[in-house]
Amino acid sequence: MVVKADKVNKWFGPLHVLKDISLEVRKNDVVMIIGPSGSGKSTFLRCVNHLEKINSGIIYVNGHPIGYHVREDRLIEDREKNIARQRAEIGMVFQRFNLFPHMTALENIIEAPLRVRRLPMDQVVADGERLLARVGLAEKRGSYPSQLSGGQQQRVAIARALAMKPSLMLFDEPTSALDPEMIGEVLDVMKELAHEVTMIVVSHEMGFARAASNRVLFMDEGRIIENSTPDQLFDHPQEERTKQFLSKILH
Amino acid sequence: MYHFDWAIFWQYLWPGTALQNPLIRYGLIATITCSILAQAVGVLLGLAAALGKMSKFAPFRWIADFYIWWFRGTPLLVQMVLLYYGLGVTHIFDFPDIHIIGITIIGAIQAGTLALAINEGAYMAEIVRAGIEAIDPGQMEAAKSLGMSYGLAMRRIILPQAAKVIIPPLGNEFNNMMKTTSLMTIISATELFFGYYQVNGRLFKPFELFLDASFYYLAMTTVWTFIQSRIEASLGERKQVRAPSTFQRIFRSSPMAH
Ligand SMILES: Nc1ncnc2c1ncn2[C@@H]1O[C@H](COP(=O)(O)OP(=O)(O)OP(=O)(O)O)[C@@H](O)[C@H]1O
Ligand SMILES: [Mg+2]
Repeated sequence: MVVKADKVNKWFGPLHVLKDISLEVRKNDVVMIIGPSGSGKSTFLRCVNHLEKINSGIIYVNGHPIGYHVREDRLIEDREKNIARQRAEIGMVFQRFNLFPHMTALENIIEAPLRVRRLPMDQVVADGERLLARVGLAEKRGSYPSQLSGGQQQRVAIARALAMKPSLMLFDEPTSALDPEMIGEVLDVMKELAHEVTMIVVSHEMGFARAASNRVLFMDEGRIIENSTPDQLFDHPQEERTKQFLSKILH
Repeated sequence: MYHFDWAIFWQYLWPGTALQNPLIRYGLIATITCSILAQAVGVLLGLAAALGKMSKFAPFRWIADFYIWWFRGTPLLVQMVLLYYGLGVTHIFDFPDIHIIGITIIGAIQAGTLALAINEGAYMAEIVRAGIEAIDPGQMEAAKSLGMSYGLAMRRIILPQAAKVIIPPLGNEFNNMMKTTSLMTIISATELFFGYYQVNGRLFKPFELFLDASFYYLAMTTVWTFIQSRIEASLGERKQVRAPSTFQRIFRSSPMAH
């Protein structure tokens, strides 16, 4: 089990954004999360690597509660060092790429292996170049993010996350800030990745969901309404709310 | 009618003759050195106070808030006198003269520079904080998601980007600093203005001598303004096409390195 969420609740002040979310993600699963804006998809993803705190429930990643440890039946927030160590095993790809603008593509990729893992320079450079080649950007190693297209930036961001050899990858709408002609190149990279790494992907790319995912969750108002295979969910949705939502996004 | 003494005016303006006077020679050196030192320490204190103010740990925030509140809310002149005479007379700290490589750094210079630095830190704190807050929060999140600690993310990701925002106002602070060192005269620290003040005590030519002093300050701030605009131009340039980074200089493999 790579991720196990158990009755996770999260409030932003008075706003109850995650309501009893329970979820299990096995090794090599590719789980898609879809749902209307504001339903809590991003928030849930951010709880999985403890960028957001949860108010109750627990999330295990690779068998360890993320961000907390249990002492006398109570959840106590972990020390920063332990949280950082857990996050190093979880890759995250953001809607707006969030590449480091003062570093080249290659520097972006090798920064964490070099400073967090403290691996030797020649090794991280070799790994970094391999990853760049893998996302089809070998010749862009010396380019700064401002010199790359959106699609290229997102591919560098994926390579940056992969450089830490994560056991889990989180994608938060990785293609929704991209021009349409660049979506394909990013999805292709993700499809290939789907064979070898566990992924949770927030995205409304149905083609990707059908081709690469083995489970789709529909979230609405902070709850998981439906959880099944892509074909089942898209072709035979069980819940009324899922049907309504799908009819909106499928036109 | 006042008789303007051109001989004195030129003697204490022209560096060849003015700097023969040890009070002015050492005063000029002290002013430049103290400005740089006080500014450097001020930046570090400002960074510490900015991080303190943004800390999750409440006592750090209180300390930073108190520091900024006190040193921005009281006059520098009073801070200087309090630090030098206050600590001296109570023998909490006497600021003994320091002798290094044949130079004597008198207590008043030490206390004055320290007061300038501490005062500067309270102003730099807001500048540094604004610089850090100008950076997209997504940068910190990306750094954290890669397993970086807060400190590492600050040092490697946030501060290098914030530096570009901080440098222009920092330049203005330094411009002010060079002029503000003259306040050290009140505690008889031998800086540039004190030098002219002493010479005037002997010659009583205040118009000529303080005009000369003004020219020296003007020369320093003008040279600095020139340097500052060069620094800012190079920062602006790098937004478009960046200068090769240390990494590129080491590996020389980038098409951009030249
Ligand atoms: N930092 C925050 N502070 C307060 N409220 C927040 C915060 N982040 C998110 N919210 C609120 O929580 C709810 C869930 O937000 P979330 O970003 O998880 O939704 P989402 O499903 O990802 O939506 P979208 O499809 O628009 O990205 C929304 O109502 C949002 O306004
Ligand atoms: Mg979202």
